Amino acid sequence: MLPADCSRRLVAELRGALDACAERQRQLERSLRVSRRLLRAWEPAATPAAEPTLGPEAKGEHLSPGEPRPPAFPRSCPRAWPAPSREQRPGASARFLAFSACTPSSQDLKELELLTQALEKAARVRKGISKAGGDKAPVPKSGSTVTPVTTTPSHLQAPGQADGRVSETSPPRGICQTKAPTKGHPERRLLSSEDRISWGRGARATRPGPGLRDQQTAPPAAQQAPEAFTLKEKGTLLQLPMAFRKAASQNSRLWAQISSTQTSDSADATTTAKTQFLQKMQTASGPHGPGLSAAEVEAELGRLQEACSLLRLRMEEEVAAAPVDWKQELRCLFTLEGLQALAGQCLCRLQELRAAVAEQQLGPWPVGGSRSTLSPCGAGADPARGPRLLLYSSTQELQTLVALRLQVAMLTQQIHLEKVLMAELLPLVHTQGRWGPRELSLCRAVHSLLCDAGERFPTVLQDEPTG
Amino acid sequence: MGRQRRRVDRAAGAGSGTLPEAIAALSRALPCGPSPETFRRAKFDRPEAAPALWQLLFRVLSPISEAGATAPPAPEAQARLVKAALRSEGYPRPALAQLPEDGSRGSRELLLALSWLLARRPLLERLLARTRVRLGDEVAVCECLGVSTGCLGTEPDPCPLQCEDLAFGRANTGLPALGLGSELHVDIRHVQWLMGKLRFQWRNLVSTQQEQCALLSKIHSYTWGCHSDQCLGHLSATETEVLRDPEGSQQLLQVLEQENAHLAATVEWRRRELVFWQWMDTVLDTCPQQAPDAGSQPVFLPKIPDHRGGQWELVAGEMQALEEELRAAAEPRRAAWEAQVRGQSRDLAWSSALRALQETVGQELAALRWAWDQGRDPAQPHGLYRLVRSEPGAPAGRGLQAAEVIGALRSKEACLEAALRQLQGQCRRELARLVGALPGFVWISSPVR
Repeated sequence: MLPADCSRRLVAELRGALDACAERQRQLERSLRVSRRLLRAWEPAATPAAEPTLGPEAKGEHLSPGEPRPPAFPRSCPRAWPAPSREQRPGASARFLAFSACTPSSQDLKELELLTQALEKAARVRKGISKAGGDKAPVPKSGSTVTPVTTTPSHLQAPGQADGRVSETSPPRGICQTKAPTKGHPERRLLSSEDRISWGRGARATRPGPGLRDQQTAPPAAQQAPEAFTLKEKGTLLQLPMAFRKAASQNSRLWAQISSTQTSDSADATTTAKTQFLQKMQTASGPHGPGLSAAEVEAELGRLQEACSLLRLRMEEEVAAAPVDWKQELRCLFTLEGLQALAGQCLCRLQELRAAVAEQQLGPWPVGGSRSTLSPCGAGADPARGPRLLLYSSTQELQTLVALRLQVAMLTQQIHLEKVLMAELLPLVHTQGRWGPRELSLCRAVHSLLCDAGERFPTVLQDEPTG
Repeated sequence: MGRQRRRVDRAAGAGSGTLPEAIAALSRALPCGPSPETFRRAKFDRPEAAPALWQLLFRVLSPISEAGATAPPAPEAQARLVKAALRSEGYPRPALAQLPEDGSRGSRELLLALSWLLARRPLLERLLARTRVRLGDEVAVCECLGVSTGCLGTEPDPCPLQCEDLAFGRANTGLPALGLGSELHVDIRHVQWLMGKLRFQWRNLVSTQQEQCALLSKIHSYTWGCHSDQCLGHLSATETEVLRDPEGSQQLLQVLEQENAHLAATVEWRRRELVFWQWMDTVLDTCPQQAPDAGSQPVFLPKIPDHRGGQWELVAGEMQALEEELRAAAEPRRAAWEAQVRGQSRDLAWSSALRALQETVGQELAALRWAWDQGRDPAQPHGLYRLVRSEPGAPAGRGLQAAEVIGALRSKEACLEAALRQLQGQCRRELARLVGALPGFVWISSPVR
């Protein structure tokens, strides 16, 4: 058994390491869940059961009068379509700003309801016609679409439009165009629009979703068996909603502004005013020296630790080198003496720091480490720097990078633990009096922990004295 | 009172009339900024301004995990933490430590403390940076202080894992693990078990991380061409999540817009802050002069056990041992050298050669010292980066290339491995020395890899 204080320190150290690792794992798993979900088929958002009267309109979402919901913002946009068409008519959908929580007014809802009923009827009629004429299951190209309900006003204005002009009627903000290969089935557009994730056109095997879909017998595009959206197939059709994009670009613009003001205020009136104020604060408080902050002390401690390892490395090099002539010998001597002087200086600095901490009663940070805003920070020297990009070209590369980073972290931790273990366990082995089996097994365990990180064990053989 | 205040303010501010605007900008930019009225009241040390300022300081000074907590601690606890944190920062005025913790007075002192923090560093920017909404898949390319590991996180969750904590295994609370209770003595086997568990957890972490990379890579390639920003080219997982779940992402937009408001206020504050500093000078002047009483210690705060005590010992011990070893290595060589040159003549050429050699060595050592003084190698990349997939042949200059980072990490890895081997070798030698002296035992150590 290990002595009490030794045990406590070791266990605390190791438990801390385990906790940190576990926290990291938890965060990672959270992100993993999100990513996995994204790569599966996207479920339709929880929608209320449609009411029969509303027909297909209610399929996807909101719009049942009882439940106004913010309109879905468009989820796909065929890249093939020229940009301008998308940006037209801001007015039309202005009322239906996706992403803002504005709910459609009751008047809109009523309008919509009437509209859908009319279209439903038209669809039924047309179905009859087209069925007679043979159904052409349109094969969706990259332009399969989802036009949210919000586009109905504009749709109405161009019923039965042919493909070519479809683009003009589509509302802005990246709402997708219907690429209805058959001559204008506006109702299909409408119908598919409500279903935010109904992408399908044409023959599709899957028919996800509840019985709602079955109600949709009317439109000929019943084969738009709304199929679940998968990122793999249709990821390239996505586009972020306008409000979001605006907010994001404003965000990066502001950050850029901030970082530029930071770098530019070197020697102007504001800085001098601030320095003067700080000095006044210092002198007004009495004869205390300039205060060191705990963060600075810790940083210096880290630097001294780094110094230790660098000095040691250099020493090993010099000691290992075999000088061939007097010049090299002398050089070796000078280096070693220089290193010794440096080590002495570092030791002095260490004592100074320790004394300063004790005198100022600095104490450690009150709540778990000095990781608050005030420690020299963060995303590089300049926390407000604009988005910095890390470009990778293949999954392999990314995985290598991340694995290496973890490896570096692990090695750093291992080195620290090694030092802690050395400090705690070696004295124990030194102070052992007799060497009985218990002491031997302790020694064996210490050897394995210190020399092989616990992965291998040495063997101890008792040599029976002969004779 | 109002008129008097205005007169005072006008006198204080050179850019008269902009002081209220400056203060308004400041209060908008701070996370739970008190109203501008509070600032004015604080100048005259009005008691009603104190609680808001205590709260603000607590918010500013507590680390992220606290700032996001749903239940902030009681006002007295907040006040205590603020005092300790300011002490930790080296706050020069002792008057703060003497303030009562119930929030009944002290608003002027608190205002001074806030301004002190604002003057020392870009506090607002740091506050915003730590809760910054990350829209991309952020990855940290290094494991340095204060950087969120990102963990390739896809949620804009400002709860970073403290890298240093990971590296140094510090317990997350400042207090030593008091929960040991009954297990005061542990067997070495418990330690071995913990080490093994740690190793296993790392392996787990590695494999989870690899999976996450693969998934992210897929998401990036599937959403190629979707981003409005041409530089980026594809959506990040966070953005895709926004699309998948728009209602759930409403919150993200709100947070983003809030951040924009704070940022705009900060920009405005930066424009106007000169007036504020002039005003703060007057505030400082209205403070009663404190008789510098160096002798008497202010309220003695309870001594928090310094869990860093162990680290001091470690470093000091190492440094001492190193100095000893260096002395042991240098002295015999010096003696040998002296003996060697005793007989020889020392001509001019010889002594100039000596001096030249000394200079070269001096320079090398200075470079060595610079290496640790600087903290970190400025050429090494560090911080958070947004992950972007690009074709291998694409023109560089948009950002950091993964290959560079990989190179840097590999060299770091090699250094660290060498250091670890060296330590392990040291232990091996030491233990071999110890047990080799034992009669009657044969010690077969494991083969060195």
